[in-house]
Amino acid sequence: MGAQCHDHTVHLAEIPAKRFFSDGKFNCEAGAQVAGYYNLDSIAAGFDAYNIEIEALGGKMVYGENSMPTIDFRDPLVKGPEDLARLRKKHVDWHNDGRFPFVLQMDEENLNYGMGTSMFCSPFSMACGMRSYPKLIRDMRKDPKFAHELFEFIVDDVLIPWVTVQKEVTGNINAIGADAWACIPNLSIEEMNQWVVPYNKRLADMAIKKGVLVMNVSGDYNEERMERYSKDILHKSFDVLIASQGGIPSIFMAMGRTQDYPLQDVKEYTDKLKSQGKAPMVTMGVNARLVRDGPVEQIVDFVKRVIDTFARDTTLSMFIGNIPADAPSDHIHAAVAAAHTYGKYPIANDLDTIEFEMPHRESFKEWQAEHGLTLE
Amino acid sequence: MSENAILADLKKAVLEGDDNLAQQLSQKALDQGIEPMTIVKEGIVPGIQEAGELWKKNEYFHSDIILCAEAFRLAMEIVEPKMAAGERGASGKVIIGTVAGDVHNLGKMMVIATLRGAGFEVTDLGVDVPQDTFVQKIQEMSPDIIGLGCYMTSTMVEMGDIIKRLESEGLRDRVKVLIGGVPTTQEFANEIGADAWGKDAFDAIEKARALMGV
Repeated sequence: MGAQCHDHTVHLAEIPAKRFFSDGKFNCEAGAQVAGYYNLDSIAAGFDAYNIEIEALGGKMVYGENSMPTIDFRDPLVKGPEDLARLRKKHVDWHNDGRFPFVLQMDEENLNYGMGTSMFCSPFSMACGMRSYPKLIRDMRKDPKFAHELFEFIVDDVLIPWVTVQKEVTGNINAIGADAWACIPNLSIEEMNQWVVPYNKRLADMAIKKGVLVMNVSGDYNEERMERYSKDILHKSFDVLIASQGGIPSIFMAMGRTQDYPLQDVKEYTDKLKSQGKAPMVTMGVNARLVRDGPVEQIVDFVKRVIDTFARDTTLSMFIGNIPADAPSDHIHAAVAAAHTYGKYPIANDLDTIEFEMPHRESFKEWQAEHGLTLE
Repeated sequence: MSENAILADLKKAVLEGDDNLAQQLSQKALDQGIEPMTIVKEGIVPGIQEAGELWKKNEYFHSDIILCAEAFRLAMEIVEPKMAAGERGASGKVIIGTVAGDVHNLGKMMVIATLRGAGFEVTDLGVDVPQDTFVQKIQEMSPDIIGLGCYMTSTMVEMGDIIKRLESEGLRDRVKVLIGGVPTTQEFANEIGADAWGKDAFDAIEKARALMGV
């Protein structure tokens, strides 16, 4: 069980957000301590991966006292073709501009925790960040020439240099692209196939020549209304994801109401991949709002169902996506404990025979004290 | 061009998110002497209503809705100034803003369009709205509903603080609080004492109507 928990780490550890999101060593140390406290299987506090490149290019950001930095959509970096023309000529120091040093420092620190993957903002999400989502959608429909120019710039002139520098500094040959904007229902499958997949492929094809294997986490199925749930769209979103990962058959369900979606529909897709001779992997997200709201029983039940559905015959990992700042620690402990209880290999034939014991844990501060740890 | 043809084209322009055409047709309708309320009720609003129906059927996605919302907004900008005061906001008065520390706007744009399409008078307070502004606007404008939006888990906590502030200012009983945004849920709304939670822009209509008792 892994987690993305930058907001939660800041809140739990009571540390200044600005420092957390600008000091790579501090970010990693805080993330490692929170991961240790929760018995997570990997360090993953994370950072605002959607903002780094845009900020370095001169994009305006909003820094809240207790919140993650965010792009100031009131004043987009690219208001029109003239801004794109200006950016093409801009000299960028890929080591030192904006918070590039923060990310490079984090990349290096993460190696000490066994994490050797760089991160970047995927082309579609970066285009949203540069233009704002409404203006980008308008560009795609009404000024596709400009939209294509923007995407090409993002891939060729921003992402290729950035993933290359991350590799040069750390040796990381893997880079993962965050692409939350490119999800269902923000886009239709047709729009993803027209605008998301081609530029993800362009990025992958160019990056491999630099020795970097990129995978974009695009096409996430994030339908909120169950009356809109569609197995057909779900499967097509997986097609988008796999195409955005250079064909690697890895399913990642990050943000959606996975506890309500029929898991058998996901299994039907992975079984299809197996019938094609592929070895699918599933990373199943535990919905952030479920983790916050609970109840514990529902969280535990979901983790158990996922393991029961996939773990015997599919490479499975689980992931708590973007743990809310004030999510109760007990809920997170429950999710991790459920994964570790039901997920012991070999997976039992009948998980109902396994007794789940809810861990009763000390507070994070108490845990830190017990281990002689601080965050300064 | 006949009145029916203009209004049908206007509805189509809004539905298809053709903002320029929606503006042009709105002006053309006014120039042709069509009553502003008729333009709104039979041209502009049906466009966004049908968008809502297509959304529910999985034929429209956010990309379609956001363009509809923009076409709706621009069309209304042309027509609304010509409407009589009593014709606006028959369903109720709403003020809406993204809470302090958060500058996300997308959901709010869609909610504003759908609420206005449902006959609510909506004042947009913008993004990164401090508590003081919410308090001041409630005192000035006496809205029926205050809409709070957020996008980040780190800013959603502000919603609870706003409600507490309204209580301390003696304003809580004067206004209904409707919240929404990616990290929010009904449980969260219950927790902070909000009156309603909108799952999306179309659910916001149902919830706002329910708050108004209609």
